[in-house]
Amino acid sequence: MKFTKIIIAVILVMLLAAAVVFAGGEKETEPVEAKKIKAGFIYVGPIGDYGWSHAHDVGRKYVEGKFPWLETLLVESVPEADSARIIDRFIVEEKCDVVFTTSFGYMDDTVKAGEKYPDKLFMHCSGFKQSENVGTYFAELYQMYYLNGLMAGALTRSNKIGYVGAFPIPEVVRHINAFALGIKDANPDAKVHVRWIFSWYDPSKAKEAAEALVADGCDALAFTEDSPAVIEVGQEHTEKGKPVFTFGHYSPMQQFGVDSVVSGQLVDWGVMYEKILKDIYDGTWSNEDLWWLAAEDAALLGGSFEDKINPKFTDELKAVTVEVPDLGKINVYNLIMKRLDQMNQGTDVFDPFVGPISDNKGKVRIPSGVKASKGQLLSIDYYVDNIVGDVPK
Amino acid sequence: MDSILISVLNRTLVAGTPLLLATLGEIITERSGILNLGIEGMMAVGAVAGFIVTLATGSPWLGMASAILAGILISAIHAFVSISLKANQVVSGLALTMLGLGGASLFGRPFIGRPLPVKMAPFRIPILADIPLVGKVLFNQDPFFYLSLILGVLLWVLLSRTRWGIQIRSVGENPAASEAQGLNISTVRYICVLIGGGLAGMAGAHLSLIYSKSWTEGLTGGRGWIVIALTIFALWNPLRAFLGAYLFGCIFVLQYILQPIGIPPNLLGMMPYLATLAVLFAGGLKKGRRYLHAPAMLGEPYTKGER
Repeated sequence: MKFTKIIIAVILVMLLAAAVVFAGGEKETEPVEAKKIKAGFIYVGPIGDYGWSHAHDVGRKYVEGKFPWLETLLVESVPEADSARIIDRFIVEEKCDVVFTTSFGYMDDTVKAGEKYPDKLFMHCSGFKQSENVGTYFAELYQMYYLNGLMAGALTRSNKIGYVGAFPIPEVVRHINAFALGIKDANPDAKVHVRWIFSWYDPSKAKEAAEALVADGCDALAFTEDSPAVIEVGQEHTEKGKPVFTFGHYSPMQQFGVDSVVSGQLVDWGVMYEKILKDIYDGTWSNEDLWWLAAEDAALLGGSFEDKINPKFTDELKAVTVEVPDLGKINVYNLIMKRLDQMNQGTDVFDPFVGPISDNKGKVRIPSGVKASKGQLLSIDYYVDNIVGDVPK
Repeated sequence: MDSILISVLNRTLVAGTPLLLATLGEIITERSGILNLGIEGMMAVGAVAGFIVTLATGSPWLGMASAILAGILISAIHAFVSISLKANQVVSGLALTMLGLGGASLFGRPFIGRPLPVKMAPFRIPILADIPLVGKVLFNQDPFFYLSLILGVLLWVLLSRTRWGIQIRSVGENPAASEAQGLNISTVRYICVLIGGGLAGMAGAHLSLIYSKSWTEGLTGGRGWIVIALTIFALWNPLRAFLGAYLFGCIFVLQYILQPIGIPPNLLGMMPYLATLAVLFAGGLKKGRRYLHAPAMLGEPYTKGER
């Protein structure tokens, strides 16, 4: 008797849990057209992270609204070891024509799936392995970090600027370096202090790391973490009368800190998905590596899609004048707009990673007048000379 | 240096408050003999309920109240399954965690990325707040902090100084004897589990209304498990829960203060669990005396009239 009751209870609880799990799985469909493409999206995080996966999903919704011939499916929070199973399901059961795998860790499973299903297409985000039917794509934001750095350097009063980093991998180190190079161009005396939280998504760790940096005297904060936690810290201190300038990351975060957010980097995966899916539809798809920057409109400047720079800080930025080799004396606001314009024309017109660039041990890494190659940027593992400390091993 | 000290102390109290609230709830639950491993889920539900209601009504106090209510409601599932159905409490508690986390992210989805329009202002205690150092840290905190202090002391008085407290503890230690005294075991346990749920819900509301002022998935960040460790660390004593909650809160805050001198944050992240293990070891070494004071019937379902 007792045993039966236990079984009933367990089943009851499991059913409840299952109901919630299944209710969470989304499935959206479009009316059927003559020629149709079905695209499956695999996300590593929850859509609700307000960072990486959220941004991809904004892109997915954008293309789905744009193309009447497109049907999309998604699965979120897929552990990196589990992607093969989800890809199989998308191809075999859902009959997807193309699968987008949006995390670096899905790389090998995506390539294997390409061999297994030669008549389907696969797009892997942030990886470097391509094959006949497997392409790669990435929206890179380092240019925007540089522009944020110009602002942070101009605005800081303590000459101590903080950065909350997720994992010490080349992508994040590259962004910190770009940020530091911007700071250096606006304010050669300012130093950058870094705290690592060893997590892509952990609002409370990011918050404590930001608090630690503020306690240490930093009055400007940038970060790589998929929540607005650092912004909230900046806003709180600003409200209490101690201005802390912050820079949004990945999603429009200005609303979380209207008095603190100066600008930020925004990504538009929508334009990338639009191109990729259009190419597939038109039959012009190729497996070339898509590495999109400001010039392709994938990387955008701003803490919101409306303002490139929070209007609250425009006057302050205009009041700071710096001297740069190619433009002479110029106020920081105009410098940022000029550089952004140059970046939009292409990396040959202006790029932050043009030497001379030395690391913080004094070693010259990029010689004078040379632009860093993509390979160098993808493997960067040192701090430039105005960052304090060492990259953790 | 002064500002770092103030910041550490201040952050310790803020980070420790949700731990304290949820631990107090788990202490009263476990004292009555019910093990509830679903703290993480109850906190998540409280956090999202508090956030949604605050957003809709503009009142963080209503938000806090509904978080408590949400915690009570979801803990009622555990109470029903483990008390009335006498099912395995570990399984039911774990299921509650998953149910709570899943439900919270489902209902919270439309609210992701929305800033909180109204904020709960810190409660400044006049005169005392002007004391240097201590004043800034202790007497200018959010209302949750003061409530958690009051609740902690109240719970201690309740458990160790009142007749009700003796009844709750005796239900956890020897339900058969308590029943012989005329107590309704189920009723006492139901009340304790629901109080525990309410406190966990309140802890969740602290996270979404005070700590991060927004709702994002994964907001609870494993605090529910730290609370279970803390309950053991506190030896089921509300006063020791203060020590534990602020100690663990401090460790959490120190992770990033100490990073520049080369202490990896992951090492400090392990500390709460290591500290709990140390308490368990100490308990195991002290033979003869019952050191741990774990309620004797913790996790054991009770059937009326059974010996």
